[in-house]
Amino acid sequence: MLAYSSMTAQNLSTPGVISTLELPCAATSPESSLRSKARHKGDDAELVERLKTGDEEALEVVFNRYSAKLYNVTQKILGEVADVEEVIQDVFWTAFRNAKSFRGISQFSTWLYRLTINAALGKIRRSKKSKETEYEEYLPKFQKDGHHSVRPVIDWSDTLDEKYAECELRQLLSDALDQLKPLDKSVVILSDMEEWSDKEIAVMLGLTVSAVKTRLHRARLVLRGKLAVQLGHSAA
Amino acid sequence: MPARKKPIRLLTNKTCKEITDLIFGYLNDTLNPAVKRDFERHLRICPDCVNFLNTYRKTAATSASLPSEAMPVKVRENILEFLRNRIRRRSLNS
Repeated sequence: MLAYSSMTAQNLSTPGVISTLELPCAATSPESSLRSKARHKGDDAELVERLKTGDEEALEVVFNRYSAKLYNVTQKILGEVADVEEVIQDVFWTAFRNAKSFRGISQFSTWLYRLTINAALGKIRRSKKSKETEYEEYLPKFQKDGHHSVRPVIDWSDTLDEKYAECELRQLLSDALDQLKPLDKSVVILSDMEEWSDKEIAVMLGLTVSAVKTRLHRARLVLRGKLAVQLGHSAA
Repeated sequence: MPARKKPIRLLTNKTCKEITDLIFGYLNDTLNPAVKRDFERHLRICPDCVNFLNTYRKTAATSASLPSEAMPVKVRENILEFLRNRIRRRSLNS
């Protein structure tokens, strides 16, 4: 018998710990619809129907199909393997128990991502372990006339690879990511790493498309500023 | 009477701050053609903004290159076991 924490059992019996709220399907661009096809859109409809009848094998198929991707996203958001495991098991259990609440307004994969991100962000909120820093220090600054406040702006894009080994560079960025606000970090992960469209991310996170774009741009500016400072340059 | 000359167009009518705000749209190719022209016109005369764009682009590329985290076999087994136990317990209770 494998052990799991009392926290998990509590979460599972507490309504609303993982919100199953389903938001409308994003209008898909040609690019995103191609990705959606690759993400088993067609097969999912049948699987969902089976899940709704309590078919255990369907849950296993869903698990095999999505667990690796959801694990990757959750690991990047939370970091701690134990936390990630707890979130993923809660998500699949919630998806199984609440499959009937999935009405097909969004894609099933989008719904699963939404459950996952909500659970991961909820865990951060409860643990209060967020390492987020003030953004202001790392955002570009401008003079009253609109010029960059620190000139010249240095192009360190090539020296980054020269100065750091690939794994060091990834660690640097990973550390910088950890200091973003959890929601912003989620947007960066879903967009830059998972390559979801802004519209799909908006549905997953319950944001407007415009808010997704704004958060992604600001997060990239902060990450850029952090890398600049790391290299000894001004973030501005 | 000779036709009045058109005013000389400024080389750029955007500030560096405005250009920075437009980078996201530029890289996603969602700027309208006139704004994109202004953006690129500004870049031709502003090395600071070219450098800023290069470093912004590099940052996005680096974050996109972060490798996927593979799920450890043990974690996968734990989760499957958890789900099977839950289902079993639910069947017993119902």
